Amino acid sequence: MHDRLDRFHDRDGSAKARALPRLSPISVERRFVFEATLDALIRIENLHHTYAGAPPVDALRGIDLTIRAGEYVAIVGANGSGKSTLARHLNALLLPTRGDVWIGRTNTRDAKSWREIRAIVQMVFQQPDAQLVATMVEEEVAFGPENFGVPENELPARVRAALETVGMWAQRQRAPHLLSAGQKQRVAIAGALALQPRVLVLDEATAMLDPAGRAAVHQILRALHQRGVTIITITHEMDEAAQAERIVVMHAGHIALQGTPRQIFARGNELRALALDVPPIAQVAQQLGLPVCLTEQEFIAALRARAPQPPRAAPTRERNGTGDTIIRVEQLSHRYLRGLPLESRALENVDFDVTRGEAMGLVGATGSGKSTLMQHLNGLLRPQTGYVRVDSYNLAEATTDVRAVRRIVGLVFQQPEDQLFAQFVGDDIAFAPRQFGLDRDAVRERVRWAMEMVGLNFDAFKDRMTTTLSGGERRRVALAGVLAMRPQILVADEPTAGLDPQARAQTREIFRRLRADGTTLVLASHRMDDVAALCQRVTVLNDGRVCARGTTREIFARADVLRASGLDAPPIARLADALRAHGWQIPANILFADELIAALGGA
Amino acid sequence: MDEFELLRYVTIGQYLPTDSLIHRLDPRVKIVGLGALALAIVAQTSAAGSILGLLSALALVALARVDLRVALRGLAPSAPILALLALLQLGLGWGARSSDCVAWWSWGIFNVTSCSVEAVIALLARLVALVLLTSLLTFTSTLSAIARGIEWLLRPFQRVGVPADELAMVFTIALRFVPTLALETEKLLKAQAARGANIRGGTNPIARTRQLVPVLVPLFINTLRRSEELATAMEARGYVGGANRTHYVRLRSQRADAIALIIVMAWVVVLVAIQVMQG
Repeated sequence: MHDRLDRFHDRDGSAKARALPRLSPISVERRFVFEATLDALIRIENLHHTYAGAPPVDALRGIDLTIRAGEYVAIVGANGSGKSTLARHLNALLLPTRGDVWIGRTNTRDAKSWREIRAIVQMVFQQPDAQLVATMVEEEVAFGPENFGVPENELPARVRAALETVGMWAQRQRAPHLLSAGQKQRVAIAGALALQPRVLVLDEATAMLDPAGRAAVHQILRALHQRGVTIITITHEMDEAAQAERIVVMHAGHIALQGTPRQIFARGNELRALALDVPPIAQVAQQLGLPVCLTEQEFIAALRARAPQPPRAAPTRERNGTGDTIIRVEQLSHRYLRGLPLESRALENVDFDVTRGEAMGLVGATGSGKSTLMQHLNGLLRPQTGYVRVDSYNLAEATTDVRAVRRIVGLVFQQPEDQLFAQFVGDDIAFAPRQFGLDRDAVRERVRWAMEMVGLNFDAFKDRMTTTLSGGERRRVALAGVLAMRPQILVADEPTAGLDPQARAQTREIFRRLRADGTTLVLASHRMDDVAALCQRVTVLNDGRVCARGTTREIFARADVLRASGLDAPPIARLADALRAHGWQIPANILFADELIAALGGA
Repeated sequence: MDEFELLRYVTIGQYLPTDSLIHRLDPRVKIVGLGALALAIVAQTSAAGSILGLLSALALVALARVDLRVALRGLAPSAPILALLALLQLGLGWGARSSDCVAWWSWGIFNVTSCSVEAVIALLARLVALVLLTSLLTFTSTLSAIARGIEWLLRPFQRVGVPADELAMVFTIALRFVPTLALETEKLLKAQAARGANIRGGTNPIARTRQLVPVLVPLFINTLRRSEELATAMEARGYVGGANRTHYVRLRSQRADAIALIIVMAWVVVLVAIQVMQG
């Protein structure tokens, strides 16, 4: 804030600039000033931004970008490429170090216009919990209009309209912290919409959501776009970017590429060099020599236009566990806040088993009980009713040594990078082996092994400060901190959530190495393509019950079960389904791009 | 079994929508009425007066249709200390020591007299009554209603520089984040326990404190980051302090509110009178 005021002084210098401008409610008439220049609602000229610090960080290094009213723009780029910094310039949360940002005819450096700019450009952030202010949904939505002095008799109508747009009116009296992540983000969008903004900026707003939550947000965005709201969405998801009219690709503070999704996804190699990727459908199309396809319909049309080719044998990949059951869960039920007014059922008669050496996928919507089940596997939660056995330990028995169980079952929580506590990387990773009383040399050996497993060089990283790491590196350190116990079983909750495509691919690689090393894996994920790539069996949870279990291929062929559980098959399986529905002779149970390409007789 | 379930102990700021007569009262009436009642109960020194205070609190809990066990849960974490205090008071008989006291049991410096028994009963009754009254406010009013009430009550002091609206906002956000922080702490405790940390183990206080570092450090960092994110989100939605804000929650006083306030105040006068007559 001081920073901003200082710069304001520099430019203006007059006495009246000494304090923050007085506020007044914004009238509808004044907003029309911004509509005067319809073809360039947002104009960014040679924007530079440097974060102060030692050393200073150049986050943006010369951005030129114009966004027209009513456009739908996706901004993509690796972690640290400057996307969020750029977004924060659009509503004057940050001011340019050099260059200018114009919203309509107003320069964001003009402090008197900040409030008007923020009424026009609204923003939804990544973390659902960190942006909700109030203790009830309807009051949350009213917060923005209250700040802008919207008359009190107008507030209820605003709140209702916004909540109805996102389908949350029925939940208006609930406490935000009791909602699912997807619902929280819908409330956050409603909070922005209640200000009737012309521009909605979403900063990775779907990164933490399950497939159903994500689909709901996409639908809302499409509807808003149709109504003429300008949508600017920052995302790591290439299929999400494909819905936009224009994609802006950022790299190291510059705009590396921009164009329509069709133009951008035709340049797969360049994207991959920027740590990004193309959506699966576009990738298959490209490898078959078809033009760029963004939807299943386009793909089918393009395939029809091509001469038919005989299918080849699909590559085989069979990976199996090695025999005995290492985890057995029977008739497990769990209730949170048992005996209290807010008691909630998390698990109901769950049966679950894992074979030694296999990778088991655990899928289900937010709140379906995945985390609760996982916490039973290392004794963080003990069975209220039912039976849990891990290796030779019976966790239903009160006398069982839980620490011994925790030693063979490593559990990685969601966003584990938030759990680092030591100053140096090596110390943090060494925490677990030290807790279990290993001697110095053994600890060192464990730390070295764990760091190599996650792809961090031991000598280069062990003495780095944890605060200087990037988000992706922090997550790998946290993963190594669990691996350093050398667990026989690794249980991980959403290990790839929020990562950019390259970091995600690296994480998959880590899990493959672990499997090759003989570690049994239990992976919970909202990303069906990750589950398909890593697991050979899947258990589907829905509302605390197991609603399906089987091999990955069996489960992902059951689109009905998945959809009923708020999930979806991986994109390639969906594409194969669509092709079958249109008369192509394709074997069932296709999961991967190379299999589909082979079945279609491609390269 | 539920060793990590911290939310179990967080009753503060928990709204229980049982929709009773008390739920429907104006928050200003509830703040003033419960506050005055709490003060009157604190002022009691006799067992009779304290028990009368406890009974009035119990009556209000019943009227609010709140389960008594739920209302008393807030006492659970401090129960051991309370028990210890009660024992000391009982045996050492601080305070009330007069010739009227009848000695009932004695062992070394411990002297249980009729006076100390009375004093312990009075102490416990007052404490329980106070916990019930404070919980009652949050059980029966949403946080924003309380915040609005506080803001309205502080408004006369705005002239002397009390930022009523900002204080109300601080109050709301502080309580809004209690469950969030409880969940966050729970997650950190679990994450470090999963890495072999034995947070409950050991009797050496220094070792125990050191065991907390892996939880407290990230908790502190995450809380700071969270508050920064929240501040940014609030700024993005145009929050610049109290000036010129309007309010979605509107305060409306009805006849029932006036009647409730008169009844409570009359009862407060009775309680004070009892104390004065005994003193």
